Amino acid sequence: MADGLDRCLAEMERGGVDVLLLGRESNARFVSDATRLWLAGTRAFAPTCVVVRETAAVHLLSVTDAGLPRKFPTDRLYPLTWNPMNAVESVANIDGVRSARRIGVDGMTPMFADLLVAALPNVELVDGEALMRSARRVKSERDLVGIRSAIDVAQRAFGAAVGALEPGIRERELVGVFEEEMARLGTSTPAFEGTFCVVDDEGWVRRIASDRVVERGDLVAMHGGVLFDGWEGSFARTWPCGPVTDAHRARWSRWQPRWQVLLDRCRAGARVADVRSGADGVAVYGLGLGYEGLAADAVLEPGMVIALELAADGMLGADTLLISDHAARSLTTYAFPAFAA
Amino acid sequence: MTAPSTGPATGPVIDELDLARMRSDRHAKVVGALQANGASCAVLLGQSNVAYALGAFTQAADHARAAHLRMVAVVPADGSTPHLFTAFPEGAPAELPPEHVHPQLAVEWPEGCRALLDLLPAGPIVLDEYTMPLYELLRGREVVGATTLLGPLKVVKTPDEQECIRRAQSINEQAMLDVEKLVAPGVFSKELSGCFLRRIFELGASSNTVGPIFQAMPARMADGPFSLTGDVVFPTPTVDHHFADGEVIWVDTGLNYHGYQSDFGRTWRVGGAPTARQRDQFRRWREVIDRVLEVVKPGATAADLTRAAGEPGGRRPWLPHLYLAHGTGTDSAEAPFVGTDLGPEFDESFVLAPGMVLVLEPVIWDDGEAGYRAEEILAVTETGYRMLSDHHYEPYG
Repeated sequence: MADGLDRCLAEMERGGVDVLLLGRESNARFVSDATRLWLAGTRAFAPTCVVVRETAAVHLLSVTDAGLPRKFPTDRLYPLTWNPMNAVESVANIDGVRSARRIGVDGMTPMFADLLVAALPNVELVDGEALMRSARRVKSERDLVGIRSAIDVAQRAFGAAVGALEPGIRERELVGVFEEEMARLGTSTPAFEGTFCVVDDEGWVRRIASDRVVERGDLVAMHGGVLFDGWEGSFARTWPCGPVTDAHRARWSRWQPRWQVLLDRCRAGARVADVRSGADGVAVYGLGLGYEGLAADAVLEPGMVIALELAADGMLGADTLLISDHAARSLTTYAFPAFAA
Repeated sequence: MTAPSTGPATGPVIDELDLARMRSDRHAKVVGALQANGASCAVLLGQSNVAYALGAFTQAADHARAAHLRMVAVVPADGSTPHLFTAFPEGAPAELPPEHVHPQLAVEWPEGCRALLDLLPAGPIVLDEYTMPLYELLRGREVVGATTLLGPLKVVKTPDEQECIRRAQSINEQAMLDVEKLVAPGVFSKELSGCFLRRIFELGASSNTVGPIFQAMPARMADGPFSLTGDVVFPTPTVDHHFADGEVIWVDTGLNYHGYQSDFGRTWRVGGAPTARQRDQFRRWREVIDRVLEVVKPGATAADLTRAAGEPGGRRPWLPHLYLAHGTGTDSAEAPFVGTDLGPEFDESFVLAPGMVLVLEPVIWDDGEAGYRAEEILAVTETGYRMLSDHHYEPYG
């Protein structure tokens, strides 16, 4: 059984939630350990995973047990459908759903809101995404093993992109180099399509690679991420094409102290809003089975894993940090370019 | 190697693709539908819907990241300039004035949702999806689901949209010319995935959209994974696979070009030529395609297509949990759906019109000797159809 399921059931108990209807793939994976087909982009809510507290059972939308943990009971699979009425019927027929009083959902569409209320008239629908965020926030040892493996793949794929950073290559080709190496290392699923973008000045940092040709002397913001067994490994560095110049060093000398201030703030007890405060271009969010949202008033706890990003002064940097009572430990260890003289 | 095309017209749909014209045509359609429905505005959270209504693009990402960093579009029904909220302003269309491109609205949180609601005009709103905080805050407000409004617009594509799909498909097909050379006994499928992902970016794809599928098919269903439908299991999640001599591989990939999706499906055989029986499977697959193409024209119903496909060998020639055909556009599988569990009455009621795009994906299966599956894309024209896909069938054809 997925250890994520235990943590999820504990949160359901605490919140008095009888059933969870999950549409977000990483939530489904957390409770089931199931690998399903990877698709890019947002998906409108549809219940593709059902957790029933009373039976501690996970039910999955899948026509096969391929990609599921060994011994996943096949009588807990329900079929893919193009008919929303059938989808609601399948879910409502699962043991424990019709008798539920409070059901958590991690998203909603106007259509499913109508269909679910019609099929389950006495149910109260509550925020299942918030519940799942709580369950997923603090990582187990097993989670950390997964995250470290993903980071290993990300760092090696990143190295391939650094190796390809020669004058004449186009930004978008660097995305291809990163993803080719990622695939060779055993996963064809990026966490996001990487940022490989020339940064001309100390203004805004683009994040979507274009057809621009990289030239000698350019600084290139590079942010790569992979999902390996569902776990995210990601980080960012800004890399020179060719030797480091004085202009590069000038940017680094402004960026690096700001980065250090942010790093020092990342420890148990800090509010996320306080980590982010006073600096533009800062992003702080949870990482695990992909991106995990952190509210501004969330407080960092030992065992949380977060991404810290700083895009400022014409540079982008990001690391994956493990929070403790002391200074955070960076799980991503890829060196920065040698900007310091 | 690029050869036998499937039917008429595989060249460009129009001489010059005009993305600004495409965006302006779509926006006009959305505004018209909002007015016809008496709505005050559309609020769009789904990235393919934002791409449709505004032509904005974002960083391709896994589901959860895409949700947290999502673009949000507000499209007023009075036809005034829409608003885009995005973490990726470089993805805003050129003609959208800077004062209409705003920082990201964090609609995963109540603060972001309140900020959104403060901007909306009074009156009914058209919405595609809720985050849970938005669901709470919109209780009591008149909300109309966007699917019924956008669906009829999206299903008919302008020539610019069709050309984007053709180009997406062409990039996918060109990448496959390199990938298929790698197929040999002893090769790992991850080498193919790597080659594919590198090539599509070299060839100008905007992004990849699905884990590339190179699925080794068992000879018999009973040798494959558990099947809930009792039929062939496909697709399974992408896994690394070591190709063995004689294996039958079903391929399925997709990518994005300016918001529009490709859908490439083929059957490959590892090492050597297919058996006579396997070649016959391809012949029967081709016959299904030809019979369906024969009836594709404006006025035909989805049921006309399923009837034309027939039941060769006593079985419907497609996977029962999927379809004989699906549409494609800003979503890789969108309406029209043909032969799904929406049922025969739905198929009878759905009428083809010029501009609709269909991905045909019949399947021929001989239990004991695997089967053949491939995909072809067409656009319905005034008089029939034109092909948007154009790839060979080696080593079968």
